Amino acid sequence: MLKLTNLAKYFGGVRAVDGLDMQINKGEIFGLIGPNGSGKSTTVNLICGVFPQTAGTIELDNVDLGRLAPHQRIEFGVSRTFQNIRLFGDLTVWQNLWVAWRDAPGHETSWLVNWFGSPADRRHEIQKLLEFSGLGDRADRPASSLSFGEQRRLELARAMASKPKLILLDEPAAGMNSEEVADLRNRILTMKNLGMTVLLVEHVMDLVMSVTDRITVLNFGKPIAEGTPLEIQNNEMVQEAYFGSAKNVEAGN
Amino acid sequence: MDFLQTSIDGLLFGSAYALLALGFSLIFGIMKRINLAYGSSLLFGGALAVWLEPIIGWGAVGVFLVTVLGAAFAGIYVERLCFSPHLGKTGVMASMIASFAIWMQLDEISSQLLPHRTHSFAGIDIEAVSFSGIILRGDQILHFWVAVVAIGALYWTLYRTRFGLLLRASADDPDTAYLLGGKVARLGMATFGLAGVLGGIAAFLILSSDGQITPHFGLWSTFKGLIAMMLGGVGSLPGAIVGGLLLGFAEAHVTFYLGAEFRDILTFGLLLLILVLRPGGLLGEAIYRTGRLAAERI
Repeated sequence: MLKLTNLAKYFGGVRAVDGLDMQINKGEIFGLIGPNGSGKSTTVNLICGVFPQTAGTIELDNVDLGRLAPHQRIEFGVSRTFQNIRLFGDLTVWQNLWVAWRDAPGHETSWLVNWFGSPADRRHEIQKLLEFSGLGDRADRPASSLSFGEQRRLELARAMASKPKLILLDEPAAGMNSEEVADLRNRILTMKNLGMTVLLVEHVMDLVMSVTDRITVLNFGKPIAEGTPLEIQNNEMVQEAYFGSAKNVEAGN
Repeated sequence: MDFLQTSIDGLLFGSAYALLALGFSLIFGIMKRINLAYGSSLLFGGALAVWLEPIIGWGAVGVFLVTVLGAAFAGIYVERLCFSPHLGKTGVMASMIASFAIWMQLDEISSQLLPHRTHSFAGIDIEAVSFSGIILRGDQILHFWVAVVAIGALYWTLYRTRFGLLLRASADDPDTAYLLGGKVARLGMATFGLAGVLGGIAAFLILSSDGQITPHFGLWSTFKGLIAMMLGGVGSLPGAIVGGLLLGFAEAHVTFYLGAEFRDILTFGLLLLILVLRPGGLLGEAIYRTGRLAAERI
């Protein structure tokens, strides 16, 4: 489904992403982890088209995304959340979802209908997203009045509103307490049950290890390991990247 | 009785100023684009209407339609040339200067369409209504209702349709709207077209009330619209309406009591006074926003 081949992004002399090969299959929850500054968020931004890649290709369903502008990639089925929450604060919860809503790819209606109509079936879809986010009773409140965890949930639902093939979650658990992380875990598993394909970039290891099918570990922009959560946890190179060498860990203890 | 009569005249004329100010507020306040060619696109609509009038026929209705469509077309033309997202990357300054060039271009085209400088503009002949000593000119009553309907339609569009929602979202945070797949380019074009429609209606009301059009109308409407917008508060739609009505009210009284030669100087004086007392305009958000920004930074 999503296929990154030899993907690279240099900022001047800094090699933020340096030769990343990765393949995500349909229906998979795929984890991308690594220490701070290892190039995880840059990868997300490259897939969304925030900036162009230096080298390599990004393909979704065998279509080269690299040639498409950001809004065209969304039309093609890429959707995301942001590390720092970026909701429209003055708009209500309902309106935030309605702004991001779009027809399923290949079934677009005319822009006139999209701009001036609001048929019942669309309102029904938004209602389902509201239920998913657990914010049904706060639909008419401004997004800025929600708590931090609720805003994260709304952003998650908003990313689903465009009916994407692939959802990119950029550190969705950042700043959450353990209760909120547990809630997020359930919601990601719900997304998996709904058949969605997710790329999860995250620091909270408990979450990554418990929801993902496969994981790629980045260090200094290069992939150093790939495998199931269990394989990654037992991989020495990964432990070294995160904690320094095993000896140091023992010394630290 | 004079006072009441003058007030009513001023407010009725002010309803056209309110439409002008709403057009300005859409572009300057909500879209945050500095479009110097706005007044000229209204002049273009009016000039085109006068030029086409003998060809189309239809009298005032034809003039009205051509003025509105011409102004909307010129608005979209300006957006494509000066403010489309691609060009937007070169910065606010480049867009503003480009719109200055288009201002000159549209003024020149309009002058070519109006070779005699002053041309008569189709007026609307409706009988005046009078009750208990107050006389209401028929065309002014029509102005008022046209303005009410146009403002109602604008509010419906902005607050009851998904188009309005997308517009407000992309004005609030254009980058996020773009990354969510908002068709920012098409929205920009539609907004400039919408502002052109509002301004075109205002231009028709003002020109038909004067019964004439000159090539100075572009600059004149820029001044009036900007003043009315700033009186009410940049970016506030109710503010634009209040500012327009206040401007009409003030102008009518100054003209009646002091004479037409004092009209503009006292209008600018009023603007200065209000901006000193309330820098954001009467219903503006400047103070509130500054306060919120300060709170966010702490």
